[in-house]
Amino acid sequence: MINRKKFDFTLLALLFLLISLGCVAIFSASTTIIGDQVHIENNWWKQIIFALLAFGVIALLLKLPLPIFEVMVLPLWALNILALILVLFTPAVNGSHRWFALGGINIQPSESAKLLTILMVSRIISKEHLNEYRQILYGFGIMLLPVLLIMIEPDFGTTLVFWTSLLAMLIAAEVPLFFILLIISPVVSVVSSVWWPAIPIWLLIFIFLLLRAHLSWVTITVASIGNIFVALITPVLWMALKDYQQNRVLTFLDPTRDPLGAGYQIIQAKIAIGSGSMFGKGWLLGTQKNMNFLPEHHTDFIFSVIGEEFGFIGCVLLLAVFAAFFGRLIRDVSELKIKERKVATAGIMAYLMFQTFINIGMNIGLVPATGIPLPFVSYGGSNLLINTLSVGVVLKYLNERGFIK
Amino acid sequence: MTKPPYILVFGITLAVLFTLLSAALFRLQVVKGADFERIAESNFVRIRRIIATRGEIYDHKYRPIAQNIPSHNLFLTSGKIRNLPALSRFLEVHFGIKPEELKTLVMKQRFKTYEEILLADNIPYEFMLKLSEQLNYYPELAFRIGSTRSYLYPNHFTGYVGRINEDEYERYKTEDYSLNGYLGKTGLERYYEVLLRGKDGREIVQVDAQGRSLNLFDPDSNLEPLNGLSLVLTIDNDLQEFVSNTFPAGMNGAIVVSDIRSGGILAYVSKPDYDPNLFMQKIDEETWKFLNRSEKPMLDRVIHATYPSGSVFKPLTAGFGLDNNLVTPYTRLASCTGGMKVGNRFFRCWNSGGHGSTNVIDALRVSCDVYFYDLSLKMNLDRFQEYARAAHLYGKTGIDLPNERNGFFPTTAWYRKTYGKNVGIIGHKVNLSIGQGEVLNTPIQLNAFYAAIANNGLWTQPHLLKQTVGRGRLTREQVMPLEKKRLPFKPTTLQTIQQGLWAVVNAPGGTGANAKVNGGTVYGKTGSAENAMGRTTHAWFCGYLVTSKPEIVVTVFLENAGGGGAMAAPITARIFNYYIGNLEKIKQTAPLPPQFRTVQDISAEDVPGESPEAETNNNETDDPAEQSGTENDD
Repeated sequence: MINRKKFDFTLLALLFLLISLGCVAIFSASTTIIGDQVHIENNWWKQIIFALLAFGVIALLLKLPLPIFEVMVLPLWALNILALILVLFTPAVNGSHRWFALGGINIQPSESAKLLTILMVSRIISKEHLNEYRQILYGFGIMLLPVLLIMIEPDFGTTLVFWTSLLAMLIAAEVPLFFILLIISPVVSVVSSVWWPAIPIWLLIFIFLLLRAHLSWVTITVASIGNIFVALITPVLWMALKDYQQNRVLTFLDPTRDPLGAGYQIIQAKIAIGSGSMFGKGWLLGTQKNMNFLPEHHTDFIFSVIGEEFGFIGCVLLLAVFAAFFGRLIRDVSELKIKERKVATAGIMAYLMFQTFINIGMNIGLVPATGIPLPFVSYGGSNLLINTLSVGVVLKYLNERGFIK
Repeated sequence: MTKPPYILVFGITLAVLFTLLSAALFRLQVVKGADFERIAESNFVRIRRIIATRGEIYDHKYRPIAQNIPSHNLFLTSGKIRNLPALSRFLEVHFGIKPEELKTLVMKQRFKTYEEILLADNIPYEFMLKLSEQLNYYPELAFRIGSTRSYLYPNHFTGYVGRINEDEYERYKTEDYSLNGYLGKTGLERYYEVLLRGKDGREIVQVDAQGRSLNLFDPDSNLEPLNGLSLVLTIDNDLQEFVSNTFPAGMNGAIVVSDIRSGGILAYVSKPDYDPNLFMQKIDEETWKFLNRSEKPMLDRVIHATYPSGSVFKPLTAGFGLDNNLVTPYTRLASCTGGMKVGNRFFRCWNSGGHGSTNVIDALRVSCDVYFYDLSLKMNLDRFQEYARAAHLYGKTGIDLPNERNGFFPTTAWYRKTYGKNVGIIGHKVNLSIGQGEVLNTPIQLNAFYAAIANNGLWTQPHLLKQTVGRGRLTREQVMPLEKKRLPFKPTTLQTIQQGLWAVVNAPGGTGANAKVNGGTVYGKTGSAENAMGRTTHAWFCGYLVTSKPEIVVTVFLENAGGGGAMAAPITARIFNYYIGNLEKIKQTAPLPPQFRTVQDISAEDVPGESPEAETNNNETDDPAEQSGTENDD
């Protein structure tokens, strides 16, 4: 089943390494030492079971004939959308409707929606004879359905993952880069309106880049005026918000404004990671971890345990493994020749990379806290399963490249 | 092969993001690493609960009944434990905490090892001083000052607070209770828990081991606690004390004194009583045995115990007869010859000498059982039960205390179910008519019933809370509306019964002559209820005092004490005498103490004649600081 010449063993090895490192960290996070009493939660072997399960699923996937796999995508996606609707009617957990609780196992349909939506979008926008406008339009159209449903849950962080992977897929589909620039320009305009000198600087860069792309003057003028309008209207809209709404947005951007809530977790994570210093305190010896300041430190804040116990050296090594892993994925995007598969691989790469960046960034206070787990490392069965399966899809594409073309 | 442009875009993105992360990590771990190590060592960034001060309980003149006093408590931070065996030994020797107990406590909190666990509360000051030195060896232990309750006198209505137990924690944890928290366990402390408790605040403790602030957070971000509301009761401490002292020593029973107009309870005594302060310390075995001795001091005999009511029930029977035109006030029924034969059974009257043929007023005066036996033969049992329910002699009164008992009054259906289909109802009805047999009442039910008779038929829910003071001033009506309704009596019926109750005390030959006092007219009814608890009867007296207007109603109940006229009536007289002697003092409204006054009160004082209460404030309790404050405001 494995084609020795085509199969990407390096990618599989890096994946295996990441999951193993995760288990080591989870073992430590599950350990509490009180005096000479050592108490270990059973999370780590649950994670190992899920990892084995995930590799089993990859093996099955590799055996599965490709046509059958491709036929399955649409019905599975439809089922997933149905699950996203149904999950809205479940009782709220911590104020949001994200999980189906089935006999102690929580299933989060927005996890599988990431992979299936990427596969759907890549199929649609890779159709031949589509112009750029249609590619963008169809891509957005398909993304919007799950994104809206996830917004209702509400789970803002996950929706960002969808948009990022859509951008990457459009780039990989070789939509001209100025289209991408046009798409993200309103977002940059909104951000730049925070500090008014940034607006003209941004607009100059924007116009310069559009000129470089040899666009018509009409397009450039319309795009510039549109962006000026967005940049100027943002403060007006901001003022129109109620105080508590403003506060909610500001707290999302800067959690330390709410030290009794999200800010508390961020500062505890920062203390844990910072106190790890250059070489760390050693495996199982983290003091902050042991005090259990962070209630979720085996899931979203697993990086704080790694940072505390393995220090800067350990963190950079982990980052290096991640970088090698993503570098490998990027290389694989260019290896694949069938457009649909290439686009899908780019989407999978982007969603994993974005989650990695957001999670680590959140742990060290660089980006807002959004409750996104660290791929392959954080504890969590369904998350691990879907992430590994996504890589499995890439491995399958690589393994069977050249069969058709 | 040239690389396609997207590879470049992806590659650059990857490089930028990971460089950013590495740089941030370098700054956090290498540049600032030493700072964070210091912070981590002292572990002093955490959220701490600021416990809201629990509301206190006052009598109607703002004199304290339950107060907060400081206490010393021992806390454990399990994450700091270094030597568990040594700690176990230390705690076992000094605080009697068994090692297994400690282990379960610690294990239960293993996901929050930074959170302090309350190990022991109300530690005596001297003991704490003695141990303070040894505490240096146990950094995981710390003494902290908290607050505990002090109750002025033994009673049954305040109840007491206690540590939250596991079941309660599971039930109430969504309402922001902590495992170290307290909550009202019984009595008013439990009933008004929501008002008394307030809302805990949160603070961020963020100093390092040297006490330097770390400036990680805005110091204004603390959440201030909202203190609980204090309760002002209708209880009068002086009267309560007098009633408690006048209660015959060594007897069991209850006395309730309440205001006829408002329905507010002035004195609430159940004997033997217990000191709620006992529950503020760990209760040892001996105390526990003492509290559970055969006299049952923990039992609140006013609302938690039901008794056969005997002759004090008769006004209801009389009312039923009159209202349904079974008899008129002038109708004389069967002649009492010391009893009466119903069917083949002879029912005795309490007076074997007999009373002859009586009308309803005389029957009440001499408490002739035969009159009621005869009346009962004309009555329908189920309608009588409804009547009793309408008069609140069956069913809860709704007093503001937890777990009130219903009392009991049977129906035909109940008899059929209990004794079989062919039960003879008549014999039971005869018994019920004089408050014997299956009928059971709580003293509070009878108290409210007699208050309603005195208040021309208007039944008011008996209650203890007059108003709240502190953060918010709410009257009892605002907290929870008082139920008020008419007794089922017709006006003429009520008049007849009042005449009967007057005759009991004031007419020659009345059984309640002992309750007579100078300075007011007493109405009442004696009762001597036979019961299963002993050979001697329960002594009852329910009566009310009218001066220029209806004043107070007193219910005296003594378990197995003998005759109501001989035993209970004299106690009632003493209470009435005391009340008449201190009428002015009890009725005078007390000025609001300065600590409860709000800006509104102070500005109200400046407007002369605005409200009479504000004027009293002005005359009596002003302190100069407050006044100067007012002037500045203007």
